[in-house]
Amino acid sequence: MFLKVQLPWNVIISAENLDAKGLMLQRSIIIRLLDDFACKKATKDLGYFLAVTTLESIGEGKVRQHSGDVLFPVVFSGITFKLFRGEILDGVVHKVLKHGVFLRCGPVENVYLSNLKMAEYKYVPGENPVFLNEKLSKIGKDVTVRVMVIGTKWLEVERDFQALVSVEGDFLGPIS
Amino acid sequence: MNCEVSLILEHKYEQLQQMSDDPLNQVSQVFEKSLQYVKRFSRYKNPDAVRQVREILSRYQLAEFELCVLGNLCPETVEEAIAMVPSIKNRGRALDDEAIEKMLNDLSLIKRFE
Repeated sequence: MFLKVQLPWNVIISAENLDAKGLMLQRSIIIRLLDDFACKKATKDLGYFLAVTTLESIGEGKVRQHSGDVLFPVVFSGITFKLFRGEILDGVVHKVLKHGVFLRCGPVENVYLSNLKMAEYKYVPGENPVFLNEKLSKIGKDVTVRVMVIGTKWLEVERDFQALVSVEGDFLGPIS
Repeated sequence: MNCEVSLILEHKYEQLQQMSDDPLNQVSQVFEKSLQYVKRFSRYKNPDAVRQVREILSRYQLAEFELCVLGNLCPETVEEAIAMVPSIKNRGRALDDEAIEKMLNDLSLIKRFE
């Protein structure tokens, strides 16, 4: 689910980029903020960082002792994406394996639907493997599936989330 | 909701397009995948429709996440809505089946006239 967050942040501007004109300063702060934001990718609490919507306030700059950079505390609003346990959402299958499939939900690639969580579906091997149930409903590559999140995990090293989902429930499963 | 995020991300993407010839190179993987996802899964494309959807859902004292899940998944029946967001039937709220049905009908009207 997409979240709207308000965050404090410290933007560091190096001395070369500081300009006497006030307008340029605000612009460099915004550009630096967007860069930092794009590099950060995701955090455990807020999820994946997508976009900055507004810059709420810029505090007074503090000069850092040894480097000569100036640190500006800012507060901004932005959009993030995070998966929650119990949430129901749509995903697209991008990999089919013998014991389950991997879906993509927004920026999260590692959303795993195990064959144990789609008991009615059987694996059908072949050049284009799929999972098929008795009513001939298919879960295969590029199929949209409505799933429920049963667990999430934050991987500190890769700065990525993993999720475990299920289709056991009313109104869950492939959507045409 | 996905449709609101879609408007925001598309606007950002257009801003980038105006600034450079190759916007896809400038955006992160996270942004690109999210943009693809919201464009594919937004039921309402028109900004006025999106605003109306939020307005209608806001009338029903829903928690923010309940509003989002309903706006994203667009259930067609009361049963489906309760399966998607079981909490709307909790805690003796003023949300009986009739109210839910009216809400879903209003939403589907917007989709029809978009």
